[in-house]
Amino acid sequence: MTQNPTDKPVTCTSGIELKPFYTAADIPEQHRPHVNVAPGEAPYHRGFHPSGYRSKPWRIFQLSGFGKPEDENERIKFLLKNGETGFIMEHDRNTADHCYNVNHPDVVARREDVGLSGAVMQSVRDTAICMDGLPVDTSFGHAGGAVVQHAPFALAAYWTVAKQRGFDLSTISGTGQSDFNLTYLGCVTKEQIPTQAGLRFNADIMEFCHQHLPRWVPVSIAGYNAADTGLTPDQELGVLFANAVEYLDEIQRRGNMSLVEAARGCGGVSFRASIHIIEEACKMRAARLMWNQLLRERYNITDPKVGNLRIHCVTAGSKMTYQQPLNNIVRGTVMALGAILGGVQSLGVSGYDEALSIPSEHAHQMSLRIQQILQEETGIADVTDPLGGSFYVETLTAQLIEKAWAFFDAIQQQGGYLATLDSGWLHAQAGENQYQEFMKTESGEQKVIGVNCFKDDESPFNVDGFMGTDDAFDVATERLNDVLRTRHEHGAARALKQLEADCRTDKNIMPAMMDALAAEVTLGEIGDVYRDVFGNWNTPIQT
Amino acid sequence: MDNAQKRILMAKTGLDGHWRGPTIVARALRDAGFEVIMIGMAKTDDIVRSAIDEDVDLVGLNVGGHIDVAIRAIENVQKARPDLPIFAGGTIPPYAAKQLEALGVEVYPPGSQLTDIVDAAERLTGRT
Repeated sequence: MTQNPTDKPVTCTSGIELKPFYTAADIPEQHRPHVNVAPGEAPYHRGFHPSGYRSKPWRIFQLSGFGKPEDENERIKFLLKNGETGFIMEHDRNTADHCYNVNHPDVVARREDVGLSGAVMQSVRDTAICMDGLPVDTSFGHAGGAVVQHAPFALAAYWTVAKQRGFDLSTISGTGQSDFNLTYLGCVTKEQIPTQAGLRFNADIMEFCHQHLPRWVPVSIAGYNAADTGLTPDQELGVLFANAVEYLDEIQRRGNMSLVEAARGCGGVSFRASIHIIEEACKMRAARLMWNQLLRERYNITDPKVGNLRIHCVTAGSKMTYQQPLNNIVRGTVMALGAILGGVQSLGVSGYDEALSIPSEHAHQMSLRIQQILQEETGIADVTDPLGGSFYVETLTAQLIEKAWAFFDAIQQQGGYLATLDSGWLHAQAGENQYQEFMKTESGEQKVIGVNCFKDDESPFNVDGFMGTDDAFDVATERLNDVLRTRHEHGAARALKQLEADCRTDKNIMPAMMDALAAEVTLGEIGDVYRDVFGNWNTPIQT
Repeated sequence: MDNAQKRILMAKTGLDGHWRGPTIVARALRDAGFEVIMIGMAKTDDIVRSAIDEDVDLVGLNVGGHIDVAIRAIENVQKARPDLPIFAGGTIPPYAAKQLEALGVEVYPPGSQLTDIVDAAERLTGRT
């Protein structure tokens, strides 16, 4: 390890200075009462269940999808057969994120890209192929719809297929996403509904789930997407709760469901697990405590069941290197360990070929095996909150909480989370962090093995990326034409008209969306309605 | 050394909005004195038109998807302005990098040094 000059401060990613060792005296005053609290007791930083992973192992939950819906179906079945305990349906981003059909000029111009990042699902017929034989009733499904404007379509498609297969919606469990950090911060699309319209969609989904799908997580805030865009762990926490406050305040304003139910609805979140693993473990602990504080102090919610922040975690994709990709198996393992030490409920490990392509079958298998080895062989799941009580961990947890609330306050002072997305303030913060992080690697101050040091590679394995299938565009085009030719045109037109009418009022769009999907209205037609009714978000950054 | 300000067009060939890579590269190029024109996600025709209209000295492509999309953009730019150098970055697997290099395009995958990218820009625009 590099010798550090003694006069040079050592900091974690959040910029908090680290001491060479910690004693009880370092734990901040306000945090001391929490140290002796057991898991299962408020403020829950040690976890919500005393028995932890003994009673409920973390869910092995991997992003997956490419090609045609049947290719994605096959990969999901491969993952389930190999021990995945939930499944995620990725949609083709070219079409999904923009709500375009494949015949949109922007998609046609990039036809070879279609299907590279998920299956093309333009109508409920495509979704039915993707979901064929999947255990919708017994597993936990992620229907896709990571991007805000796409979520109502993706969810309605999943639920419509579930209904067609005879399932009672009130009994199925799973999750939506509709993530603002992805949509408006991390991965800014070419065309997207404005943030206010997005907030309305998410509130619509929350209210619809409350009425019809009580076991479904309607929306899921992804700190991951803020962090992998450049926000530090303390900022990731601050931004996540600033986002939650937008949802809860909106639900309160609308007055159609109780705040307790709303808090439960947006209490399933995701974080990034990056490489500074003790800091990351502290971040998960901090998040649970902060959620408890927020609900108590801002909304006067004391129902202990609502305080259960469920955390999904994905290891940091941006930490996976292009050079010597097999090293990423080690990075994935270490980052997963940090998440588990922090007590997350669900975990995805990024593929070792992340910097080259979407995961190959072997990279996916390795992501599962990493989790299975940790779960079954290491004993890490035997004791809840194994780091609890460490002077260092309790101190850093408390320091992160303090810094995170300061970032939350900075967002609130500028008019709240949506305002800081619209103004580009969050993008500027992330951009500056990215640049500083990059310069540290560039100068060699931060070593990255195989990238800026130890560059020799004797690997006998050739990792060359995974390019999926080459017929996704053609098949999607055929299927789109087929739907448009064979659906009941009058019914589809009527359903689309109703959806447009509801978009123009403040009615919940989800009932009309369900009808539209059942009538085989296609994704691009719905996107056209959005563009007409809501217009486009004025993006604050030039990419 | 030519002291005239050199202009670099930067575009994304795909429809994927990840912006970390291209914005860091753009910042480094601007810090080095280049004028950087970013047009974001752009179709082949838009890239070619901007390369001509803006009279740029170099094109930087951010490639995030299938290599054939990038190749189409490169071939069309080269047809319109055979003298114009092009470099590319992004998630470009080694086999695809070879395809781009065969077209005379320099490739800077993730993990590349910014100083190398700036050096390449200076060399390709004839500043040094």
